[in-house]
Amino acid sequence: MLENALTFPAVDVRTALPARKPGWLHDQGIGTHMDAVVLEKVTKRFDSLTAVDGLSLSIRPGAVFGLLGPNGAGKTTTLRMIMRVLVPDEGSILVLGQPASDRTQDLIGYLPEERGLYPRMKVREVLVFLAALKGLSERESTRRVGQWLERLVLAAWAEKKIIDLSKGMQQKAQFIAAIIHTPPLLILDEPFTGLDPVNAALVKDIMLELRDQGSTIILSTHRMEQVEVMCDSICLINKGRSILAGDLRSIKQSYGKNTLRIEYSGQGDFLEQPALVESVNRFGAAVEVKLRPGADPQEILRAAVSQGARISRFELIEPPLNDIFIEKVSEVHA
Amino acid sequence: MRKLWLVVKREYLTRVRTKGFIITTIALPLLTMGVLLLPLFIVGRQADETVKIAILDEAGGLAAVIAQSLERKLPSGKPAFQVTRTVETPGPAENEKARQELRAEVSRGELDAFLVVPKDVLAGKAATLHTRSLGEIGLAASLRRAVGNAAIARRLKDQGIRIENPGDLFRAVEVTTVKVTKEGDVEEKGQTFAVAMGMALVLYTTLLVYGLATLRSVLEEKTTRIVEVLVSSLRPFQLLAGKLLGVAAVGFTQYVIWTVSGGLLATYGAGVVAAFSPQGSPEKIHIPISLLVSSVIYYVAGYFLFASLYAAAGAMVSSDEEAQQVQMPMTLVVVLSFLFFPFIMRNPNSTTSVVLSLVPFFSPILMTMRIALQMPPFWQIALSLALMLVTTIGIVYLSAKIYRVGILMYGKRPSVVELLRWLRYT
Repeated sequence: MLENALTFPAVDVRTALPARKPGWLHDQGIGTHMDAVVLEKVTKRFDSLTAVDGLSLSIRPGAVFGLLGPNGAGKTTTLRMIMRVLVPDEGSILVLGQPASDRTQDLIGYLPEERGLYPRMKVREVLVFLAALKGLSERESTRRVGQWLERLVLAAWAEKKIIDLSKGMQQKAQFIAAIIHTPPLLILDEPFTGLDPVNAALVKDIMLELRDQGSTIILSTHRMEQVEVMCDSICLINKGRSILAGDLRSIKQSYGKNTLRIEYSGQGDFLEQPALVESVNRFGAAVEVKLRPGADPQEILRAAVSQGARISRFELIEPPLNDIFIEKVSEVHA
Repeated sequence: MRKLWLVVKREYLTRVRTKGFIITTIALPLLTMGVLLLPLFIVGRQADETVKIAILDEAGGLAAVIAQSLERKLPSGKPAFQVTRTVETPGPAENEKARQELRAEVSRGELDAFLVVPKDVLAGKAATLHTRSLGEIGLAASLRRAVGNAAIARRLKDQGIRIENPGDLFRAVEVTTVKVTKEGDVEEKGQTFAVAMGMALVLYTTLLVYGLATLRSVLEEKTTRIVEVLVSSLRPFQLLAGKLLGVAAVGFTQYVIWTVSGGLLATYGAGVVAAFSPQGSPEKIHIPISLLVSSVIYYVAGYFLFASLYAAAGAMVSSDEEAQQVQMPMTLVVVLSFLFFPFIMRNPNSTTSVVLSLVPFFSPILMTMRIALQMPPFWQIALSLALMLVTTIGIVYLSAKIYRVGILMYGKRPSVVELLRWLRYT
């Protein structure tokens, strides 16, 4: 996938995050040295279906972690166990150094994939209610809701009912509900769906601000280009098991520079070289070519020039995460 | 506890602030009052007029006795009947002519009605009352007695017994029913029945309305998916309990407003009725405090029993159509207990009544009926409440398990087998 598929335009944003003293996590009994989330051989079954199967993973604090996997891989079940909505059948879960419990629930902010707020309640009321459920006092909830509505340009809609808001505005309101208590652990499921580029940038900036202040973010998404630009480390799960985990950069490096990104005009016959080319991914103006092991990219360049194709870009890169995802998942299915 | 309280508060406030709640709460008592008062007002006005009547005596010699017997007085003191004239005709031809004339007079409004006493009245042939408006039907009873008296007087006379004053001889003796209660004797004119019926109706309505409100509330949180956010902040049981308490508080508010206004209407409304109704003698309805208190207790107990079932039903489904299907069993049980009313009414203390009213699902309505009709022994009340409490705890426990799983499940409604599996999930 192309690097710039997801562009976040620069937007002037005022910092509305409440200033937090250094060591604020420590004050809540959360050590910054330990992993934010640790799953130890966690299994969850629903009747005959094993949704999560002996999954172990650990999430570094203060980082953005990508939880990836095809539909039905067990992502939502995993997230629900971290949030203590479900209890694992086997294994253990530590959240911010403590076993998952009612108390750890207040330390987590959650943006579910399917957005939902009370349609007939006013925006401000819903958000104050949800903030208070996370343990904030009514007064503090009201104050913060006001600030965040300003920051996300929703202040004018504060007294409108949720049902009267556009889809994008509802999403921003839902995002506020997830971050209102500045959670040390923030779980976001497809946070950018339906947001225009300006609002997507707004949300992204707030995510990164929270991360910079020490919050850990779990990002669950199918949009690999978002993962590439935002995540520090990932875990790819399929059928409830981890099939690829670790630091995103090292994962990509381990695959080596085996992919060519070429932008050209004219005939594309030079790509028809089964001895050199394993697969071609066409994007219209550009192609990504996966080379066979040991293939020399120079030979392809030579063939292109000799066949009269006009090359405007020819680059040897690491494989896009999208390709790694497809390869790993189809390996398991094979 | 704080989270539970937040859920209760939200549930309560968002409900009592809706127009629907305000309208039904205020409009229903007003409407009931209107429905009660309007006919009284109309009938009362009509009944204040003296009825002008003529008697066509084809049998001969009866009209005078009939007129004498029509001595009923209106509340205002005016006589109920004024017999303008009596016609005794010698033969069929004259009969027909007289009828024509009287009919014409009634049509012109000079007469309100005329009574035809046929020739064979002593042999059992019916007399007929000819009238323009059916409103005079109420007067038929007085006329019936008058004609009957005249016929009996004639028969006695035929057997040689002479009667000087048939009006005195036949003056009826009334029997009134007096209900014996702890507070003293209360004259019974059907008000006990009305109170039992009214209380049962209020319970029936509130149980159904608030049971369904719980179901819809669960379903709404599920279909809008907000439940996913909620359960990441509190335990499903807290959410369920908060919902049950919140909706209960709304129902309680409405219930108190209705019963208090109903009680006031029944106690003081009688005076209002009397003011409008010149027939006077208002039926004074007395609702004992013990009945009000017990009906509130049974409402609360019944609400939790049914609402937790409705909540579980709401958690099982994903659409309004499916909700219609799953709420049927509960609704039927509530309706069923109401159908026992005629039986309980006649035999409030029979073994069947006692047993039926001890069944927890029937207790709220049937016990309230029985208490209104005749206070059952204390042990039966205590036993029914104890049985309800135990059943409710069990139902809440099972419902909570279904709820916890159901709120996160979308798609097809679970089968009974699947439902049993849900109970085992952790």
